[in-house]
Amino acid sequence: MGGERLKIILSLTPPLLIIITLFFGGIFYGFLQSLGYQPAIGKYELNFSAYYNVMFSERYAKLFWSGLALNLWVSFASTFLAAVFALFGALAIRKTFIGKTLCNFIYSLNLPMPHLVVAVGMIFVFSQSGLLARLAAQIGMISSPGDFPVLVKDKYGFGIILAYIWKEAAFFFIILMSVLQSLGENFEELAQSLGANRWQRFRYVILPLVMPNLFSASIIVFAFSFGAYEVPALLGVIYPQMLPVMAFEFFLNPDLNARSEGMALSIIIALIVMILVVFYFWLTQAKIRKD
Amino acid sequence: MSELKIQNLVKNFQGMDRPAVNNVNLDINSGQLVAFLGPSGCGKTTILKMITGLFQPDNGNITLDNESLLPIPTEKRGVVMVFQNYLLFPYMNVNENVGFALKMKGVDKKTIDERVKEMLDLVKLPDIGLRKPKQLSGGQQQRVALARALIASPRLLLLDEPLSNLDAHLRDEMRELILTIQQKLNVTTIFVTHDQEEAVLLADKIALIFDGELQNYTSPKNYYEKPKNIKAAKFFGGVNFVKADFTDNKIQSEIGFCEYEGDNISNLNKKLFLTIRPENIKISKNTEFDHNSYQGEITSVIFSGTHTRYKINVNNVNLECSLQSVGIDNIKESDKVFIHLPKDKIWGMND
Ligand SMILES: Nc1ncnc2c1ncn2[C@@H]1O[C@H](COP(=O)(O)OP(=O)(O)OP(=O)(O)O)[C@@H](O)[C@H]1O
Ligand SMILES: [Mg+2]
Repeated sequence: MGGERLKIILSLTPPLLIIITLFFGGIFYGFLQSLGYQPAIGKYELNFSAYYNVMFSERYAKLFWSGLALNLWVSFASTFLAAVFALFGALAIRKTFIGKTLCNFIYSLNLPMPHLVVAVGMIFVFSQSGLLARLAAQIGMISSPGDFPVLVKDKYGFGIILAYIWKEAAFFFIILMSVLQSLGENFEELAQSLGANRWQRFRYVILPLVMPNLFSASIIVFAFSFGAYEVPALLGVIYPQMLPVMAFEFFLNPDLNARSEGMALSIIIALIVMILVVFYFWLTQAKIRKD
Repeated sequence: MSELKIQNLVKNFQGMDRPAVNNVNLDINSGQLVAFLGPSGCGKTTILKMITGLFQPDNGNITLDNESLLPIPTEKRGVVMVFQNYLLFPYMNVNENVGFALKMKGVDKKTIDERVKEMLDLVKLPDIGLRKPKQLSGGQQQRVALARALIASPRLLLLDEPLSNLDAHLRDEMRELILTIQQKLNVTTIFVTHDQEEAVLLADKIALIFDGELQNYTSPKNYYEKPKNIKAAKFFGGVNFVKADFTDNKIQSEIGFCEYEGDNISNLNKKLFLTIRPENIKISKNTEFDHNSYQGEITSVIFSGTHTRYKINVNNVNLECSLQSVGIDNIKESDKVFIHLPKDKIWGMND
């Protein structure tokens, strides 16, 4: 090992220490709390009772499992639909001027837009007192805004899904446009000259070519929507409740004992997200190795 | 069976001040191997793409066996194009790549497998069916691309610069292979190149294209002996051009009166150029020749190993003569010589 390398390692140490302390220190402390370690209220012994409580106690089990199911459903549905919309959108307009303009627009506006704003926008447009409901009532499609289907604050998470689709489709769209751009049209033209019709070109050429990128983007989006709090907090209902919202409510609880449950739930969410991220890295690394 | 006719073909692109393809006419007989030859950007690929249907022409017609191709979508034309950069599908192995066209036709798996094997044998690549394109060399990828194009027995095979991405020895090998396969299957083929030598070695006929315009369409031999214009002659290494007047069935040139036997004599304009290959000019120090004999002065002698090149000034026109081996012993720079342009070797062009 040369002196150069030592120098690099030494110069990297201070920032690394900070990152490690803040990140892993925080997680570690959270993990301790989830095991019941709370010196503030005189609790020092470590056990898994908070995890047990969250998942299996009569009080929380139903909330937890229905929340987990809702989480999975919302993340899966929104990721899948956002990907599908983005794919067809990108294919439809990739060669047009609009496509490029839209891409720029999304880059500069939609992508950095906070989820919170999107969620408020959803309420403004899709709720029963929102724009669409009033418009529909006005033109006589429904007799009063109250007849508008419950799309926001509904128990199936439609509002949340819609908000995520809105945001994540933009993310997918930008990724897909750049992938399609870099692929060019040659593969499709070649396939066409070999006799592939429009559907076959989509099925046997475009899809397999964009799939690796689409799939890894999906994992990121899935993981993100799985752990995000603000949209379900604004657009969700009391029951079933998505896990991040449930975790947050534990923290709001004046009973400090509930802290451990909140931490346990957070750790569970973090674990699931982490597994997804590890899977993502494994996938991308596998792809790099193959190339 | 597959006779291709291209009539008055025109293609414009936005932002170009001339048509990318300008009024091109040519006929290709069934089973012929034709080269599109020309410098980069002259419109070769654009013509191929119009034949496949990937571009629609702005004017003109393309017919195959007397039926216009233009209303037929690309995927139904039976015209297969092999692209410059092979474009093997990276997510498929070699077998799947080669079998692609048959799969699109809905052919059953067993037949596909058999045909794939046949094709891989044809391009001399058995036993690599399970590899991915990344695991192949450039030459192998090229052959797989060829097999993939041929599997569905296309009516017309278009090869866009099939050899330009290969290094020299692979290029020779691949050229042989293309020739063998083309003759074996007797598939009407157009291939694009910007290499004059490659075109000569492979093609039955060469279409020479400059700036979107067809300059000349004839056999390789004719490009050397009977080029249509100076541009065509120069592209094939022509160096000797002499201005001349054609009046009263006689040719009077810058270097003197000239006897002429070319079969295009009835088509010659009043103003024309004469050309002759350097190897067809004869020189002598002392003896005058019986016709087309002129006097000049040697301006340089260059020995190149297999040939000796003489530059001769004849009445202020520079001509080049090339003789085999060491040439003529006693002819040196500044010598006065007689030169001979045999009447059966000299060729007249209108511009
Ligand atoms: N899709 C297109 N849009 C606009 N211009 C184009 C397009 N395709 C080709 N051109 C232009 O048309 C001209 C002819 O292009 P083409 O690709 O046919 O040339 P080529 O003879 O195949 O050249 P090369 O040997 O470099 O492949 C070029 O000037 C090119 O810039
Ligand atoms: Mg080209």
